[in-house]
Amino acid sequence: MLTAFKISAFITAALLLQVTILPAYLADPFKPNLLIIAVTYLGLKTGRGGGFVAFALGLLQDCFSGIYMGLNGFSFLSLYLILNLAADRLYTNSRYLMLFVVFLATIVYGVLHLLLLLVFPPATGIYLTILAALIPQALVNTLFSSLLFSFPRLNALEESR
Amino acid sequence: MWELFRKYRKYFIVISLLLAAFIFYSWNLKHKERANLFERGVLNLMSPVNSVIAGLNRGVAEIWNDYLALVEVRKENKLLRHNMKVLNSRLMESREALVANERLKKLLDMKNAMQTPSLAASVTGEDASPWFKTIMINRGEVDGLREGMPVVAADGIIGQLVKVVARSSRVLLITDHASGVASIIQRSRARGVIKGKGDGTCSLEFSLASEDVKVGDTVITSGIGGIFPKGLKIGEVSMVKKGEYGIFQTVEVRPTVNLARLEEVLVLLQQPAE
Repeated sequence: MLTAFKISAFITAALLLQVTILPAYLADPFKPNLLIIAVTYLGLKTGRGGGFVAFALGLLQDCFSGIYMGLNGFSFLSLYLILNLAADRLYTNSRYLMLFVVFLATIVYGVLHLLLLLVFPPATGIYLTILAALIPQALVNTLFSSLLFSFPRLNALEESR
Repeated sequence: MWELFRKYRKYFIVISLLLAAFIFYSWNLKHKERANLFERGVLNLMSPVNSVIAGLNRGVAEIWNDYLALVEVRKENKLLRHNMKVLNSRLMESREALVANERLKKLLDMKNAMQTPSLAASVTGEDASPWFKTIMINRGEVDGLREGMPVVAADGIIGQLVKVVARSSRVLLITDHASGVASIIQRSRARGVIKGKGDGTCSLEFSLASEDVKVGDTVITSGIGGIFPKGLKIGEVSMVKKGEYGIFQTVEVRPTVNLARLEEVLVLLQQPAE
């Protein structure tokens, strides 16, 4: 119960930070997507039940991003499943590997968006914007995840698992 | 004689002393600029003592001024620092109020100039993704807002309402890929559709190559489509490219409103045509 409360508090804080506070200081495309970091963590560290959480996180992101409800829901769920399948083959206790996975996850997330928006073309020319923003966002996400993963509390949580 | 002296000895002595003092005084009047032997002796004897006492006095005075008086100075310093902070914050507040006042005055001028009733709203958030361009405002259904209503700022249009909930709404900015606004070039009346490019600029689509469009031209809303009223400023043409082939020209438009720094907006309370 307490863990669920902590996770909810983290997600609320991340969303507020992402939507209200960070845009005031960081210009596009250098705004981090903190929920991708959360989904990466869930994909690598939790069981199959985390899929529901990832999908819910995607829908939550959809409420604050773009006009296509379900786009992030699908992307986050796909991302979670890919990471969950690969988690057994990865040494997830390594912090550097986690950072690299966050970088890759952001790229995959962007590519999934690209495919979904190209298959159902509601917005022509968006691929240029996505491609231009993808690498900077992946780097910013990696930077933020390095800060998050350096919190001793998170490391302690991992060790207890 | 001796008896007389003994009888009045006291008076003799007093008179003699007075006389001697008078003579001493009158004799010294001639040499008043110079120190006499007595003065020299006294001054020479006292000057080292004088110096020591003066030094001690200075020391005590310094201690008093530099240490004991510093207690008051410290208090005064604290008070002055506090006052400085208060005044600085007031200065910041007044500057902020001045800037906000200018912004709101512009918005009010715009509101008064519009025929359509409007409602002011504050921007509360931006899109969580870098490739979509939407903002959140603090007004919603309870304030009479509906999807499709146009949103403007003092310098021109911003976008239209999407996803309106009870007390907040999302605004699809004109720079988003999904946005399209029917428009005309103010000077030549050339028609087109302003589409967002996702990078803070727009493009004028479906503008025939034969149409007269130049860099610096002002682009305004045409009123076609029933969402935006006619004649609202959208932006300025920043680039025109006419290919040898093809029937359309490439026109890039820079919005007049700085969409990255929006704080207050005006929602036009007109129901969009179905």
